Amino acid sequence: MDSGEGPSSVSQPEGTGATKIKLGDTILLRIPSGDIRTLKLEKDSTINLGKFGSFFSNELIDQPYGLAYDITDKKLTVLPPKGLQEVEDTDATNELINDGQAVQPLTVEEIEALKKSGLSASEIIEKQIEQHANFQLKTEYSKEKYKKRKEAKYSKSFSTVIPTLFNVCEYWFNKDPSRLRDIRPDTLSQMLNLASIRPGGRYLAVDDASGVVVAGILDRLGGKGRLITICDVDSPPAYPVVTHMNFSKEFTTPVMSSLNWATADEDYTPVLPSSEPTSGSYKSDAQKTRLNKRKIASNALFQTRDELFNGEFDGLIVASQYDPFSIVQKLFPYLAGSASIVVHSPQVHVLSDLHGKLRDIPGYLGPAITEAFLRRYQVLPGRTHPMMNASGSGGFILHVIKIYDDPNASSVMAHRHKVKKLRAENTSNTGTPTPVQSKTATPSPTVIEDATMTEAEPMKDHSTNATS
Amino acid sequence: MWSTAREVAAGDLVIIWLTRDLAQPLLITPGKELNSKFGVYRHSDLVGIPYGSKVGSRNGKGFIHLLRPTPELWTLALPHRTQILYLADIAFITSWLNIKPGSRVIEAGTGSASFSHSVARTVGATGHVWSYEFHEARAKKAREEFTQHGLDDIITLTHRNVCKDGFTVIDTVDAVFLDLPAPWDAVDHAKKALRTDRVTRICCFSPCMEQVLRTVTALNDAGFTEITMYETLIRPHQVDVVPPLPTIDIIGAQLKQAEARREAKRLRQIANSRQARGEKRKREEPNEEEMPGASTGDQAMDVGAADAADEEMASSHKKSKLSETESLATAVATAAVPSIPAASLESITPTKISLSKAFPEVRGHTSYLTFAVLVPRSTAPDLSEEEEEKASPVLTNRDTAPAESS
Ligand SMILES: C[S@@+](CC[C@H](N)C(=O)[O-])C[C@H]1O[C@@H](n2cnc3c(N)ncnc32)[C@H](O)[C@@H]1O
Repeated sequence: MDSGEGPSSVSQPEGTGATKIKLGDTILLRIPSGDIRTLKLEKDSTINLGKFGSFFSNELIDQPYGLAYDITDKKLTVLPPKGLQEVEDTDATNELINDGQAVQPLTVEEIEALKKSGLSASEIIEKQIEQHANFQLKTEYSKEKYKKRKEAKYSKSFSTVIPTLFNVCEYWFNKDPSRLRDIRPDTLSQMLNLASIRPGGRYLAVDDASGVVVAGILDRLGGKGRLITICDVDSPPAYPVVTHMNFSKEFTTPVMSSLNWATADEDYTPVLPSSEPTSGSYKSDAQKTRLNKRKIASNALFQTRDELFNGEFDGLIVASQYDPFSIVQKLFPYLAGSASIVVHSPQVHVLSDLHGKLRDIPGYLGPAITEAFLRRYQVLPGRTHPMMNASGSGGFILHVIKIYDDPNASSVMAHRHKVKKLRAENTSNTGTPTPVQSKTATPSPTVIEDATMTEAEPMKDHSTNATS
Repeated sequence: MWSTAREVAAGDLVIIWLTRDLAQPLLITPGKELNSKFGVYRHSDLVGIPYGSKVGSRNGKGFIHLLRPTPELWTLALPHRTQILYLADIAFITSWLNIKPGSRVIEAGTGSASFSHSVARTVGATGHVWSYEFHEARAKKAREEFTQHGLDDIITLTHRNVCKDGFTVIDTVDAVFLDLPAPWDAVDHAKKALRTDRVTRICCFSPCMEQVLRTVTALNDAGFTEITMYETLIRPHQVDVVPPLPTIDIIGAQLKQAEARREAKRLRQIANSRQARGEKRKREEPNEEEMPGASTGDQAMDVGAADAADEEMASSHKKSKLSETESLATAVATAAVPSIPAASLESITPTKISLSKAFPEVRGHTSYLTFAVLVPRSTAPDLSEEEEEKASPVLTNRDTAPAESS
């Protein structure tokens, strides 16, 4: 393996979060204000970004994702990437600036009057800067802030956001975390790793989080493997987040199937409309096509059911509004030994409840609840600090491993206990210890409740990495 | 990578889960024995057992769980040669760098290969990982591990100093991850290794802010953009299953009951002591009947209570003996009245509740994750001239040191 080079032509599978913009893609555009707009890219149309300009849609086709553009005459020119705005601090400080009227020559009344006169917000801000008596006294930093704001108001430009799982999840999370059941990009990444999603693996998912989990699993399957989702509606579920990933049909269709809580029930036989013509022969070609379609659909359904019931899935991820215990217990039989079960909830209470139940049931190994903490920093020369705004929570994760229990295996403790008891009773022992019969699994000798499996290792000295 | 078969086979790497805090890797080698404080196990006895099984020891003492390795379990069980990355950082870096099936990734240094295993799993057979380690013994150990774990096709390990000699590929990878003390010295090399036809990403992992600042400067100078920094941690929660918390109604009722009992007792003592005095008086008179109950009565009366009883007697000395006894009886009856509300009694008896709280001691810092992107250089207007000369990935044989990477 070791010439040091490795392969030089590794094929990049198609359809995995495309790198070039295609017609029909659902794209995200970041406008100068920092907001993100989303739209479906149609041919020969005009994309209107309001005061940030408008341009012909065809201009974006085949462009790589992630570039910034200037809009002039409805045409786009690629803007060079912007580096950190290096701003040298001058001697100016806020020391000489009164926080009173000098800083803001426009009073609230004046602003109201300007608004009434029909001036837009940006024009008002511009007026404020113009009349900023002490502008020269402000620090470079504050000037930069002013300029940035000004720039945001006037430049006709935007950039395309690459539809990576991270970006798509972040976009949805920032828009409305509740629709993602609070699944933040970092939480999602932990869920996918804990479930050990890999290309070629077979997984079950229950996603009431707009499809963010499904999007993640599909992304990590890379078009190979299997995903069966179980939903609460009788038609194929809508997973709107998946749309933003712009996966190709070939990438998702062979991989994913969906059942619902009725069709995923072994004791239930789905009632399907007949796909045979009642009269014995097809009345028309149209009928034939319709009935054939029905047949294909019902065959697919029964196939998916069989596949589920045959089990041996590698993992289960749950992000659902329904009682997680009922879900986990229902799907438990279909998981392979050693499979990871990952349950997310915005509320820790839901998971502590689940934890309390699972730990008494043989078959569930080492349930652990964790919460992800994330802090983002602004990095600017001389002004590096944590962001002033942060998300409060990305929800909680419970991780547990499916095992095949052996009720006859007894713990070291139980064994010692038994030996003591036998000695005390002074009974004639045959020498072969009889298995401890207990309803539940004998507790493992040194189970330390709830130490998380992920962070069990104490922090070690990171000296190899310290500045040297 | 690792076995995907249902049952354990000879030669498989399995993870032995002993306790929640103790997992260890085991290479199934028939003929060998696993001897732990949780019992004795013959490797050959483990062959053929389904992954995920709980297995009792040969002597009936203790049991283990036989788990299928995953990178996450490997991170917990691996032999430490260096400080390693854990789930929170690995997962976040993977996600931000957009590492997925088919991705080509560079990492340096390999260290204990915790990150390497996770990324190899995620990129899969269609992707590739180039890993670099300048410490010879560590490189050798990691190479052995990769071979043993069936990762030779996915990971290429090179023994070299990347800050000095750079990487072995040019215009090839989608992402670079640097976990070494001076990442800024590798930034320019990283830029050469990153492919130019699409957006690529880099992450530098440093525990100190001073390192971050130097890295940021180097990234900015090299033309990386969208430089940002994160810190991520995992906060573990513990769960206690306890009876529902008692309400203050119950406590209030209990206090009332206790008070009433005390009052009843006091009154009883008063009555008793009065009676006793009466009898004493009687006894002082010659040839009277036996004192009944004196030996069996409430003898727990303490001095204070006796004093109180005396005072009480003094204050009520005017009352006739008969009426006093009557009033005492009613007082005892009414004092016993406050009882615990039925509803709250009900709620303390039944089911238990699960309560969770964060662990008292948690990891407070691992490292700062500095990220940046490099936009396609072939489309950037100022570089459009060079666009054509960019060929398919070129290997720099100049940089290859076959002697080192045997
Ligand atoms: C903290 S460890 C990496 C741990 C690894 N990320 C993991 O998860 O196991 C850092 C490693 O980088 C190696 N290293 C430091 N500087 C290097 C350099 N210039 N070139 C190659 N390797 C280097 C060290 O020998 C050490 O093994």
